[in-house]
Amino acid sequence: MASDLLSIGASGARAARGALEVTANNIANASSDGYVRRSVRIEEVASGSIAGRGTDIAASGSRVAEVRRNADGFRQAEMRRTQADLQRANVELSGLENIEAAVEQSGIFDSIVEFEAALQQLSGDPTDSARRAAVLSEAETLAAKFNITSGSLSSVGEGLRFNAVANVADMNTYGAELARVNLRLARAGFGSNDQASLLDQRDNLLEKMSAFASISTTFASDGTVAVSVGSPATSFVSGGNVGTMTSTTAANGTMGFAIDGAAISPGAGSLAGAALALDDLAAIAIRLDSAASSIASAINTAQANGVALDGTAGQPIFSGNTAATLSVVLSSGSGIATAPAGSPANERNQQNLTDMRQALSAANPADNVNSILFDVSAKVAGRKVTQSALETIASSARIALEEQSGVDLDNEAANLIRYQQAFQASGRAMQVASDIFDTLIGIGR
Amino acid sequence: MINLSTGAFYERSTTQIGSLRARAETLQQQIGSGERLAHSSDDPVAAARLRMLDREERVSAVDTRNSQTAENNLKFADEAFGQAAVMISRARELALQAANATTSDEQRASIATELDGLRQNLLGLANGRNAAGHALFGGQAVGNAYQIDSATGVATYVGTATLDAVEIGEGQSIVPGNTGPEVFSFTDSSGAQTDIFAELSALSTALRAGGQTAADAARDGLTMLDTSFDKVTTAQTVLGSRLAWLEVMTERRTDNMERIADERSVMGGADLAVTMSRLQEMLTVLEASQSSFVRLANLNLFSMLR
Repeated sequence: MASDLLSIGASGARAARGALEVTANNIANASSDGYVRRSVRIEEVASGSIAGRGTDIAASGSRVAEVRRNADGFRQAEMRRTQADLQRANVELSGLENIEAAVEQSGIFDSIVEFEAALQQLSGDPTDSARRAAVLSEAETLAAKFNITSGSLSSVGEGLRFNAVANVADMNTYGAELARVNLRLARAGFGSNDQASLLDQRDNLLEKMSAFASISTTFASDGTVAVSVGSPATSFVSGGNVGTMTSTTAANGTMGFAIDGAAISPGAGSLAGAALALDDLAAIAIRLDSAASSIASAINTAQANGVALDGTAGQPIFSGNTAATLSVVLSSGSGIATAPAGSPANERNQQNLTDMRQALSAANPADNVNSILFDVSAKVAGRKVTQSALETIASSARIALEEQSGVDLDNEAANLIRYQQAFQASGRAMQVASDIFDTLIGIGR
Repeated sequence: MINLSTGAFYERSTTQIGSLRARAETLQQQIGSGERLAHSSDDPVAAARLRMLDREERVSAVDTRNSQTAENNLKFADEAFGQAAVMISRARELALQAANATTSDEQRASIATELDGLRQNLLGLANGRNAAGHALFGGQAVGNAYQIDSATGVATYVGTATLDAVEIGEGQSIVPGNTGPEVFSFTDSSGAQTDIFAELSALSTALRAGGQTAADAARDGLTMLDTSFDKVTTAQTVLGSRLAWLEVMTERRTDNMERIADERSVMGGADLAVTMSRLQEMLTVLEASQSSFVRLANLNLFSMLR
């Protein structure tokens, strides 16, 4: 007889214990990030019978054949893709929201209106020193608001670039980690617990990388993965080799990315979002600069055409022609040239003030800033819709994956009972073997 | 078999409860601020319109101030006209008295003295200042409207020929007063341009000369004073109509402010009744999903294992 009852029982108890351990492991990792539910496949140990005695019983018990990892490649890929889209939308939206806040909350629009109102008020009595001082102080507020807005915009840009640079560093770290996982996966035994946890690590790393840029993956039969990033798809991780991702910042603050020197566009993920937000930021900065410069040139040109309160030729009120450099250089309100050229001191003729106000209303900076605000806020509103749609898609993809690969505690509770009973039954079988042995020994007494 | 993953259950529940909470908080914020828009991006079109309304309102506030200044100046001028009319009437009474044949030369001389005094007072009025300290009847001039020669006492108009109009909003403007010549100058019977100051001093000189010429000059002076009186009262009437126009514009501005306030509350205001009931609805749903979440979370096979 090729089998013995005791070892069959022992093998059953061992298999049941293995299954119990896997169940306990599932329960322990019910809320671990990236953990995929394991299940055990228990198979019969088939031993061949001795030649010529085929009719003999050839039972050899059972063993744990495979610790199976219940991962679904399609759902994982879908989750990575939707997450990359969501991250792009998130970063772009938060960048745009910051731009909106910078332009809106600095009150630049209000200060332009106040400046116009102060000029209009001055037209009521152009020689009144209080009204002149009011114009000058509103001009200073206006310049300061432009400076503040420009400062806030550049810190929005710095924040976006800082995050993007950190993301690129993370991307390189994860790439190197993934290459190491690849090497170990190539050596891990199929169906082993080791392989399962390496695959967990691999998928976790892929998920993290997909938050930064769009990645495309090619899986080999041994579980190793080759990763290409962005478009055009450029090889980043292949076997144990990993490329180097770099970022560059242009003079206008926009960013470019490259892998091993080959330029790529990230396509999706937070890097793509940052690149988009930075492009918007650069465009807004240009429009803000042109609004600042239109105010400065309209007012300064008009100043040059008139004479100040003391009868001298008008001097510029503003210096600088960008939002960051706009400042008031006129020191006293009496320098505002309200009277036309050739007028004597203390002239109440306000022809030049009228021309100045006309030039300002022709340049219409209030409308320009209003349209900047409108464009930014309309973009934010549009992106919010996109983002919430992508969020729903990404969250349902994640839930779909979790439902398939996550741990269900009720299931595990049932498994716990099942394998516990199997263990007890195997133990019982071993006891029976022992009883039989005792009976046989007792025959001789 | 669909595997109901525990993680998926918790993730779904947090997403749902979180989004309900976020919506309830947005509503709460709208109730707290009374504004429907916290950021421009909440409704870009309404936000842009609100900004333009703010601008309109600000400009309108300056218009109000300018129109108040104009109104003050007009009232100053109105008062001066009233006083001038009284003085000219008094001058006419005196001239009538001087024209009387029974009036003696001494009496005429004393009338001449009173006429000189009246002329000084009229000049004082003509050189009056408005609220901002500029000449009331000097056009755009800074300082006095009439310059008085210290030797001869002759008054010469030194102001500008016209007074610039002041904007009072909606493209309307108003001239906030009159220039001296518009009030005090006129053409005499021979068609020559003259003013009341020159005529008064000529009259008082003639009265001092005495005799029949003085009586004749006084009679001529009556016509001149009538013309001058007419001129002043005409100017006062024009001024009155300007004041009425200002009032109309002020009313229009008030109506406009009301319209702006109305439009603002329609565009950006949160309707309290609607918002409150939506918040209540949201809170009911939130409570229901929270309690169902707790019940489902307690439904666990492990709690059955003893």
